[in-house]
Amino acid sequence: NSSSITFNKTLLKHAAVSQPGFLGLKSNVKSSELVSSRRKRVNKNKKKNWNRHSDIHDVEDFLEDIRHQERTTGGLLSEKPDDSLFFLDVEAEPVKAEKGKRRVQRPLRIDLILQHDSMVPAPKNVTAYQQPNAKKLRRIAQRAEQLAAKGVLPRRQRHLLSRRPAEKTVKKAEANNNPDRDFYAMWGEEKVTDSADPWYLQQTGKKLVQRPEKLNQKPSVLPAVEVIAPGGSYNPDFLSHQALLQEAHDVEVQKQKQEDKLQRQLAFRKEDRATEVQTIISAVAACLYEDEDEAAAPNEDEADSALGAIAVAEKKTERQRKKEKAEKMKTQQQQASRRQTERQQQLFQLRSIKSSIKQQELQTKARQMKRKARQEAQKALPRRLGKLKYAQDLEVQLSDELAASLRQLKPEGSVLKDRFKSLQKRNLIEPRERAKFKRRLKVKYVEKRAFRQIT
Amino acid sequence: MGGTQKKKFERGSATNYITRNRARKKLQLSLPDFRRLCILKGIYPHEPKHKKKVNKGSTAPRTFYLLKDIRFLLHEPIVAKFREYKIFVRKLRKAYGKTEWSAVERLKENKPTYKLDHIIKERYPSFIDALRDIDDALCMCFLFSTFARTGKCHVQTIQLCRRLTVEWMNYVIASRSLRKVFVSIKGMYYQAEVMGQLITWLVPYQFSHDHPTDVDYRVMATFTELYTTLLGFVNFRLYHSLNLVYPPKVTGEKRDVLSVQKLAALSASLARVVSTAEEDDAQLDAFPTEEKVEAREKEQMQLETQKKIFEGLKFFLNREVPRESLAFVIRSFGGEVSWDRSVCIGSTYEATDETITHQIVDRPNVDKSYINRYYIQPQWVYDCVNAKVLLPVEDYFVGVTLPPHLSPFVEEKDGDYVPPEKLKIMALQRGEKPGDDDDDEEEENDDDDDDEEDEEENEDDEDEAEEKNLKEMEKQKSQGKSLQVKVTPGKMKMENPVRLEQEEKAEEKRLAIMMMKKKEKYLYDKIMFGKKRKIREANKLAAKRKAFDDTEKAKKKKTKN
Repeated sequence: NSSSITFNKTLLKHAAVSQPGFLGLKSNVKSSELVSSRRKRVNKNKKKNWNRHSDIHDVEDFLEDIRHQERTTGGLLSEKPDDSLFFLDVEAEPVKAEKGKRRVQRPLRIDLILQHDSMVPAPKNVTAYQQPNAKKLRRIAQRAEQLAAKGVLPRRQRHLLSRRPAEKTVKKAEANNNPDRDFYAMWGEEKVTDSADPWYLQQTGKKLVQRPEKLNQKPSVLPAVEVIAPGGSYNPDFLSHQALLQEAHDVEVQKQKQEDKLQRQLAFRKEDRATEVQTIISAVAACLYEDEDEAAAPNEDEADSALGAIAVAEKKTERQRKKEKAEKMKTQQQQASRRQTERQQQLFQLRSIKSSIKQQELQTKARQMKRKARQEAQKALPRRLGKLKYAQDLEVQLSDELAASLRQLKPEGSVLKDRFKSLQKRNLIEPRERAKFKRRLKVKYVEKRAFRQIT
Repeated sequence: MGGTQKKKFERGSATNYITRNRARKKLQLSLPDFRRLCILKGIYPHEPKHKKKVNKGSTAPRTFYLLKDIRFLLHEPIVAKFREYKIFVRKLRKAYGKTEWSAVERLKENKPTYKLDHIIKERYPSFIDALRDIDDALCMCFLFSTFARTGKCHVQTIQLCRRLTVEWMNYVIASRSLRKVFVSIKGMYYQAEVMGQLITWLVPYQFSHDHPTDVDYRVMATFTELYTTLLGFVNFRLYHSLNLVYPPKVTGEKRDVLSVQKLAALSASLARVVSTAEEDDAQLDAFPTEEKVEAREKEQMQLETQKKIFEGLKFFLNREVPRESLAFVIRSFGGEVSWDRSVCIGSTYEATDETITHQIVDRPNVDKSYINRYYIQPQWVYDCVNAKVLLPVEDYFVGVTLPPHLSPFVEEKDGDYVPPEKLKIMALQRGEKPGDDDDDEEEENDDDDDDEEDEEENEDDEDEAEEKNLKEMEKQKSQGKSLQVKVTPGKMKMENPVRLEQEEKAEEKRLAIMMMKKKEKYLYDKIMFGKKRKIREANKLAAKRKAFDDTEKAKKKKTKN
């Protein structure tokens, strides 16, 4: 009843307050509202105006009040039992709170902020707990459980168990120089690529590129291993050893000749250098002959000029021209007749002509043979394939270096070097030298300060 | 004028060649990689005939390759491997630099490698091609197997080379293909005949190791890489042609470390795939006899006997002789060989074995405790092999000055100088015993010299006696007296059929020469003059040698006196 009374009261209040121009006690009313811009009469039958011009703030206040009660106390106060609202205070006088250091710990502000500020619990999100097809899945799980209890495995597991274990086919790549590598039959067994259709191979990209024919020719006619001359035996026959020494000697002589030639070409000639005596003589002679020359020279010049003047002479006369022509004809005739007689006489010289032709032919043939022989010899020589020229060194042991027995033999030269040179000789690689260390910038030597004081 | 004019160096040889740097850039490889690729594929630089044309007017010495070859190189799958390797090196270096050891391990495990099998198949399409090129391969493999395993070049390469050379030597022993041996100052030259191909290779001495600095090791290592692969495949094929198990096994043993070492010792016999009761020597079919077939049969018989010169002989090698070489040679000709147990594994009998026939010694003096065996120097074995006949052992006793070791690779033509030692050997080959005079001359004893002088005197005496007789008879006849000659039963003069043949031939030759025309005779005289010149030179050399021998003898006499 009290609530209904208050409700009626508030209704009346509302009616009064809602009148325009009502001035309440708390007059914090805005000036715009005093001069209200509202229409005096509004048609409340239109749907548009049900929302705009209906006044439900009293209902709203009531509802707000109810919500407030629920927020703060967890339910309507009117429906709460008395015990929760009131209590009888039967306790004695409270004992004085102990003063001292024990103060009540206030809760942290952050905890306060994080607590719920209303007693109304948050609504539960039903969709979060919803599972599509929950019933169906539940049924399936139950069925699986039943089957598992019986001992029947699902199909997927059965397949997994029946599958063969995976074979590890990861082959570690074997290096080419592995000492335990194995070899297989390479020649005499046809691979797929040999016997398959060439069109198929070409289309699938499996066709092997053909090796050019020229690569199958050997770059040199020399044999791979050249045996040393018989004088290179560890216990050689006297004459063959001498022959080998002679060869080595020849090579050295050639080298020496080259050096001497260079020396000679660069040497200072004695004739170029004039000795002191000669310089004096030549100076004196120069002075002596100078006067004579001066006297002689001008006369000659005059004579020459005079002759020159006469030489620019008159034109040729008719007679002279005729004479010249006649002479010319004569000489021509003579020559023609001479040629004819020569030709006639050549008939009788046939034999000697034949022999001379034969000689020439022989010569040309000899020259051809020589050239061919030289070309063949050239083939055996190493080609010039790079910057450096090929240099061969002979291995030979001098007579006093020859060993008395196989045990005391000291090997000459190294097979490694011999093989390297042989590869160069056969034009397989170009002659190479060890790269020298070239400095781009010059090194400057500076003494340390300490040393400078000493020295 | 204008566009239709031909420009220089745009066609012909100038476009067929390409310089090395250009080729390298075309392939996008570094210079060492490019070199390695060229060596592996067998692509060599060429010298053009007209250098100026190719070099666009300059004569600077450049290395040229054929453009076709370089284009062919572009299709090689190994080029990709080289690039992968370069990247691998870069990653590895980075990982090392950042000290990420797990990354280093992982990278090293997955190191990119390449195989050369397809290159071998491409370069040597048939087995005979491969056999022709095997000389070089053998030399390189033997050379590398003697290197010290210091790590300068891959130790794996050295091991592989050793294995392959051991396999090759075992094959030669099993097939009895060794023909010639030459011991030189550089190393030992061997020649074997395999499937009709003559293969020569050079083996360095074990104790020579001066590593020269001007040899490019990388190039040699690349060649060896290729050649080891080639030799491996060739070995496989050769072993299968003899029905031997490959990789080789000792008969009746499993293939483990010990047996591998035994194989290396060259004293064990190899296991066969199909055990044969008898040796399958191919018998020549019996064709109707023709001259050539007969000759070939003869040759075949000779060859068979030559292959077995050491059969039945038992050798023992002292410590100071080159064991591997001698074991190889002796076993290739059917002999049995052994050595001291402490030298190497695989010795089959000890020095105390009574049945040893020859002991190879190289010391100046040795105590000869066993009577029934010869103590000889190692050159005897090599000389016997070259002469294809067992030479007399006396020349090779311990302490004796050896005869010179002649080269079997020298073929002397008619008229050339032949050293007297070789003549002796040829005589031995023919089956004649060396003349007594020669023997007497060789021995250096005064007694023998005296004997020789006595013999000469005897001969002279005989001649003189004959002459005297004749003179007397003539005198008697001139004096008109009847000779006191009796009719004695005639002695049959044994006609030497060989000599008769020779005389007939000489007669025919003389007749033919008389019948020649002038021009032909002129040519013939010229040829004979040339030949006689050779003979004259040979005689000169022989005289020189005799002079030298005499001086040597005189010296020795002096020292003895």
